[in-house]
Amino acid sequence: MAVLRFLARPLSRRLRSGYGWVDERAGTTSMLHKGLYEAVPKRGGWAYALGSATLALILLQLFTGIFLLLDYVPSFSQAYDSLHYLETSDRFGAWVRGMHLWGAYVLILVIGLHMLRTFLSASYKRPRELNWVSGAVLFFLTLGLAITGAMLPMDNAGYWTAVVVTNIPHYLPFIGDGIRSLWRGSDFVGPVTLTRTFGIHIWVLPFLLFALIGGHLMLLRRHGEFGSWVNYQTDTDDPEREITERILRAEPPYPTKRTGRRWAAPRDTVDFFPDQIFKDIVISVVLIAVIFVMSYVAGAPLDERADPATLTYVPTPEWFYLPLDQMLLLYPSGYLILVGGLGLVGIGALMLTLLPFLDRSHARAPLRRPEVIIPGLFLALVVVILAVLGANRLFNL
Amino acid sequence: MSHALVADAVPQSVLGNSLWVAIIASLHIQIATFLTGASTLTVVSEGIAMLREGHDQRHGRLAHGLLRSMAYTFSFDAAIPIFWVLFVFLGLWGTFFIALTRITFWVFIFEAGLFLAEVILLYTLYANWDRLTAYRRARLGLLVLLNLVLFWQMFFIDVVASYMLTPNGGDRSQLAQILNPTDIPLDVHRLIGNIAWAGAVTAAFAAVRYLRALRRAPEDAPFYDWVVQWGVLFAIGFTILQPWVGYSYAKEVQLHAYGAWYTMMFGELSNVFLLQITLLGLIFILATLYLLRRLRASGASGVRSLRIALGLEIVATLLAAMPSRFAWTQGDVTARHLDRPFWQGGLENPVGTMIPNKIIALLALMAASLWALTVYLKALSRDQLRWGDATRRSARGVIALAVVVSMMMATMGVIREHSRHPYLIYGEMTIEGQHVVDHAQPSPGATQR
Repeated sequence: MAVLRFLARPLSRRLRSGYGWVDERAGTTSMLHKGLYEAVPKRGGWAYALGSATLALILLQLFTGIFLLLDYVPSFSQAYDSLHYLETSDRFGAWVRGMHLWGAYVLILVIGLHMLRTFLSASYKRPRELNWVSGAVLFFLTLGLAITGAMLPMDNAGYWTAVVVTNIPHYLPFIGDGIRSLWRGSDFVGPVTLTRTFGIHIWVLPFLLFALIGGHLMLLRRHGEFGSWVNYQTDTDDPEREITERILRAEPPYPTKRTGRRWAAPRDTVDFFPDQIFKDIVISVVLIAVIFVMSYVAGAPLDERADPATLTYVPTPEWFYLPLDQMLLLYPSGYLILVGGLGLVGIGALMLTLLPFLDRSHARAPLRRPEVIIPGLFLALVVVILAVLGANRLFNL
Repeated sequence: MSHALVADAVPQSVLGNSLWVAIIASLHIQIATFLTGASTLTVVSEGIAMLREGHDQRHGRLAHGLLRSMAYTFSFDAAIPIFWVLFVFLGLWGTFFIALTRITFWVFIFEAGLFLAEVILLYTLYANWDRLTAYRRARLGLLVLLNLVLFWQMFFIDVVASYMLTPNGGDRSQLAQILNPTDIPLDVHRLIGNIAWAGAVTAAFAAVRYLRALRRAPEDAPFYDWVVQWGVLFAIGFTILQPWVGYSYAKEVQLHAYGAWYTMMFGELSNVFLLQITLLGLIFILATLYLLRRLRASGASGVRSLRIALGLEIVATLLAAMPSRFAWTQGDVTARHLDRPFWQGGLENPVGTMIPNKIIALLALMAASLWALTVYLKALSRDQLRWGDATRRSARGVIALAVVVSMMMATMGVIREHSRHPYLIYGEMTIEGQHVVDHAQPSPGATQR
């Protein structure tokens, strides 16, 4: 009878009461309210949108990846054929594969920009150290996903990428050969290598990625978006009083705990909904549109079937690994690869991850903390220059 | 042909003709690179002056000074390429120059067009600087345009310079000529180097004015003291990247002009290469010494760190500049059958090998210099420096720094131009007689290609 009474009501009332039933049990309204009406700094909203865009692009990778799994066969003998079928016979296969590739390219760029913004604005300082650490690890996981994904097609490019990449651990002293054998499943790249790389690409790395994304978002909600130093400038002759007033009238999640009073609450804030979410959606939609167009226009290349015996094929790295590839060219022998390729890159990656613990200054404006900005910009410039020189070398192969 | 038309009057000495090119080219390059780099410094200073309008007059004054110096030096420098092309190239190296012009015809056309644009922009800015103060954004826009014009000028002339060393096996497609293997590395190398050189010249000029101001016009001393450090920051900051870029450049030469690379690293030029590394180390040492003295003069923090950085730079320079053999060329060592370490009675010195020792020394040199720069900037950002109290000694050190940078540029020019020997265009045209190489016949460099 209760069901019949429910069905006899008008549709709007039926929906409202249905939602009321769910809300009573799950607390969706308070959850949505908490999620949508939190304060964010007013200035710099377009720059903060890079974080949301990163999440949108990761979700795009997840969905396109699921569609690719419908056709892809992770077998050394059939991987190439399955992708060839997807490219030539599946109606939207080539487009979806293109979106997966261009999505990865744009994702790496966007994460890089997001990190640069965070670095320049010193948003990683207390109490947001773990936001930065989790973000840096997310960046490395994304690079890992990109390189393991590049090995899967088992065309010439994929096969030789696998040969080069799985050989890199070999240069580590003591444990290097063990890691290489573990990854390859033997001394050479073969069927087991593909199976293991596939497992890493679709299970291990995504699991870690989504776990860290959850943590990253939770931390963001806990401490609030820092924004940049411009949001904390004072205008009056009595800055202490101005800061006190700002803290008193701050909306959640501000004032941020365990930070200096000056950095506890931004000068002006807006609600996440609709102000910030509008910017987030615009940036994400523009990026996804770019991916859409590029995947249609350029697609994703599929080389000839892998030929382990070829003597003419010259493997070339993906553009985001060009700096590393160029570095390996500059440090050609075993000892130097250890120092230059693995040592410098490893130390650089470690310093990047542990940046909040290395930068102990209280200043936030870039010009006031050259001890971090100068080495950081130097590193960024080196990466760009190595990428340009690497691209030049590949052009003249 | 009439006897009167035979070109008997043209000197035939390869050495003499090469010397003419060396003198004219060195003079032109030192000025042209200053112009390109100074235009970047002018944009930076004018931009900062606009941002800090009313708070900081120094950048506005520096931007104007740089622009005037560009106008004066350009006026002199403009005559050199004309003399170079008309008399030295057409008169002494006619066959080569005509062949080169036919190969890189469009590149030269663009270069000439950009030269015209440079004349218009530079003299417009020079003549109307004060009038344009009311339209500062437009003035900054014109400066940016001038900067872009000079960048593309450098790019197109680099196409010619790099093509002569790595002509891609004589590939005649325009794209292969323009983006030949050493073009982009040379562009990056010069883009960074030009800014560093302009910084060094600006610092040296300001150092001279500072020394004069101390005697005659003490009210100007703080400004020139500040300009000296501003120039040095660009000189050292951009030079830090150069070992890496230069190494990449040499790597491309190794891959695409092996004979030239061998001459540089193991042949006649290998000792000049050691001189170049020594000069590079000296640049870092002199710059760090200046930063150290500058901090000490103001009683700022970081002097101890800079002393350690200086020590590291000296050790790294000594290691990087160490010869890998005690003979003029590797060929001499092999010919005397003494290719074993000196402690076994040979002539080789494994401590001075490029890979890995010199590379690690260069990395250490870069790291120490980056550290020195960071320590200095940290003190600067904490407002610990007072302008006008730099010592005379530190100003003289900066003048020496500019001289070393100039010598470094000349040395690099000698290495690049001579590494091609016996070619004008590597593997394609010889210096002696300007003969085009017939690839069907054995040529002087055939075994090296």
